[in-house]
Amino acid sequence: MKLDNEVVHAAHALAHWTGGVLAEINHLARNVAELVELNLAGRPKVDESSLLGLEVLSREFLAKNTFAVGAGTFFAAQSVEAEGHIFEWWSRGQSGSIAKLDADLTPGSNRYYDYEKLPFFSTAASTGEQTLWGPYIDYLGFEEYIITLTAPFSLHGTFAGVAGCDILVKDLEPLIMPDLRAIPDNAALVNASNRVIMGNSGMYLVGERIKPGSPEDQQRMDLDVPHLGLSLVYGS
Amino acid sequence: MASPSSFQSQIYRSLPEIERAEAIVDRISTAISLGLLKVGERLPAEAALSEMFGVGGATLREALTALRDQGIVETRRGRSGGSFVVKQPQTQADAMRAWFLSTSISEIRDIGDEHAAIAAATIRLACERAEAHDFERLQELARSLVLAHSPEHRASADSRFHVELAVAAQSPRLANAEIRLQQETVQQLWTPLAVAFDPETATAEHLELVRAVAQDQPEKAQALVLGHIRRNIFHLIDTKLTVGYAQSNQDAQ
Repeated sequence: MKLDNEVVHAAHALAHWTGGVLAEINHLARNVAELVELNLAGRPKVDESSLLGLEVLSREFLAKNTFAVGAGTFFAAQSVEAEGHIFEWWSRGQSGSIAKLDADLTPGSNRYYDYEKLPFFSTAASTGEQTLWGPYIDYLGFEEYIITLTAPFSLHGTFAGVAGCDILVKDLEPLIMPDLRAIPDNAALVNASNRVIMGNSGMYLVGERIKPGSPEDQQRMDLDVPHLGLSLVYGS
Repeated sequence: MASPSSFQSQIYRSLPEIERAEAIVDRISTAISLGLLKVGERLPAEAALSEMFGVGGATLREALTALRDQGIVETRRGRSGGSFVVKQPQTQADAMRAWFLSTSISEIRDIGDEHAAIAAATIRLACERAEAHDFERLQELARSLVLAHSPEHRASADSRFHVELAVAAQSPRLANAEIRLQQETVQQLWTPLAVAFDPETATAEHLELVRAVAQDQPEKAQALVLGHIRRNIFHLIDTKLTVGYAQSNQDAQ
């Protein structure tokens, strides 16, 4: 069938693009782990002195990967001195200048950014694999409508945090819409929790859920990208 | 009824961003196209405008100069002087095209989400609070959409109808929210860029809304208004896809 060919083609193109992003964040996570181990020089726990050079890694990532609006590292409390919270994340502002993201890390405060509970962290922590979270409103963090891709990393063989990047939903649109528009039928890229990341028409709108019991002629094709649970939904 | 001054405070509300002179030009131009400011009307004095917009005198004068250059306002000297609205600004297809290129589908969907929330609450209150003379007025406003002869006038008539629904709902805050939402999207809806928008369908939907309000059927009215907004948003998304991604579609075929 012609339609199936077009869906296969789009699925392949989207998987290729996503695979490229994953390769970049894996590379970032590896560099972060190497650098922090070097900074630790044998000490067991991360503190301020272990973070030297992380800013350069984030800035290099953002300079190379212009699709990303932010990049950096979140540390697991168990890997931080006195079970503290540390994240080192840099984001592009509207003017294009890069600034360090700031958030309230005081447990119990009403603007507490409890990043270990957020799926881009917790899923990577529990599965040990790369993950994609979103689209979501990063309330109290970057406070934009984004997707976040992360890869876990270890220090001295123990899970120590995640490194990755944010992509604004509106920046993602021109990057993947041409692939989706190549499918003549209604179609959408859908995340692991059945939420639409992007659709090629008004039929599937970003942020909506594909509910069980959707129309019978709705079909699905999984994207060949490990661990992210992405698929293409099309038809009807 | 909401007093005109609450509309005025909405037009002149303080600005969130830099590029303020440009924003003032936009705000006043849009207010004129929506019919909130009329040809012949005098703008408040410069000092008052500066204060309401929260900008310095230099920025305000820059904005007035731009409006004068576009022939939209004229400044007269003397005792009965001031800046007067002298012309309807043209809807600029280019400006609309730029809006569609710079606004993502996620943002358009989000405008629709907010509009749905505001419109649903508004129409329910209108069912409770509107009275006979409101129905007649709304019916007349609904008809003026199909009678309008240009995209600009359709945009004016369409937004006027929705704002007046909030007026019939007796809520200045909802009316203000409706004005803001109309200012954001109504020109985009009616400017013919890709697929033309049909005034007869929109008018029929407006008339159905008035009927549901008149019969005090809040459930029906809400379902109708949500469907109406959904259709508007789909039109904006279709236009966005055509204006923004027509090339990629052709490449694929």
